[in-house]
Amino acid sequence: MTHQTHSYHMVNPSPWPLTGALSALLTTSGLVMWFHHNSSFLLTLSMATNMLTMYQWWRDVVREGTFQGHHTPTVQKGLRYGMILFITSEIFFFAGFFWAFYHSSLAPTPELGGCWPPTGITPLNPLEVPLLNTSVLLASGVSITWAHHSLMEGDRKHMIQALFITILLGLYFTILQTSEYYEAPFTISDGIYGSTFFMATGFHGLHVIIGSTFLIVCFLRQLNYHFTSDHHFGFEAAAWYWHFVDVVWLFLYVSIYWWGS
Amino acid sequence: MRKTKPQRVLRNLLAHHQTAQRTISTASHRQFENKVPEKQKLFQEDNGIPLHLKGGVAEALLSRATMMLTFGGTAYAIYQLAMASFPKKQD
Repeated sequence: MTHQTHSYHMVNPSPWPLTGALSALLTTSGLVMWFHHNSSFLLTLSMATNMLTMYQWWRDVVREGTFQGHHTPTVQKGLRYGMILFITSEIFFFAGFFWAFYHSSLAPTPELGGCWPPTGITPLNPLEVPLLNTSVLLASGVSITWAHHSLMEGDRKHMIQALFITILLGLYFTILQTSEYYEAPFTISDGIYGSTFFMATGFHGLHVIIGSTFLIVCFLRQLNYHFTSDHHFGFEAAAWYWHFVDVVWLFLYVSIYWWGS
Repeated sequence: MRKTKPQRVLRNLLAHHQTAQRTISTASHRQFENKVPEKQKLFQEDNGIPLHLKGGVAEALLSRATMMLTFGGTAYAIYQLAMASFPKKQD
């Protein structure tokens, strides 16, 4: 009988990295087919295979950690590094869109009327729905911290309540932002203003949806007793991601909504 | 006046019932039970089944469906690439 004499996790062979890579191939070729050959079949297939891969891969990670005990403190340290590095890469991703915004808005060209917002653009009032969105996300940052402290103190009922409130606030933000997009007096095609506005806020919105999904998974896991008061890295990773999403919004609000109007 | 035995039995029963009721009312309405120990046993069983199939029969179906969609899609993408690489002649 063999036993490992180290605290690392030697992962068993898995098909999901392959299916994930192939779904990425389908996504790129699917985009080409959609843009140039009037067909969305490959793209639809890519979304399906991507969802299937993510579901089964992360399901297996939960099994390896919660059910098989492979997430030793050493392994958990690696997972922490991984999540931090991933969020850092996302920070750089958003930095690009902020660069584009400031490049165009700090020195507006004559074609725009030499001013920002450009001539003809009526920006959204930062003191209306955008301010509400800011308070919603800030409140969700408070509620997720409450959830974490409840979890660490072994208070199951309050952890569930606080996490539920956090998820509701996230969904409320998404609903509000969708309504704003629908009602906005300008579109993505309205010059560089429209492009920078919708690319930056659009990717942010996508990250809110991803973060909310992560929180919902944590909620289901908490209901099923997966987390203990001193071992709940999945929840911590979700909380880090959620705070990141909140901070990006604060930068968006101050730069694009407030200064940019 | 001292309670009779039936009165004491009934009172204990009611008290216990009230306690049981209180316990239930503070728990989640959907009564989630802690099934983690069962899952731990299931996934630690030394039966040679790989992790991604160890949860049950349905997983083999889901896994097979994922493979078929992924590999089928890849074949289709390569076919479309071949078609796009050799444009048909205009008459």
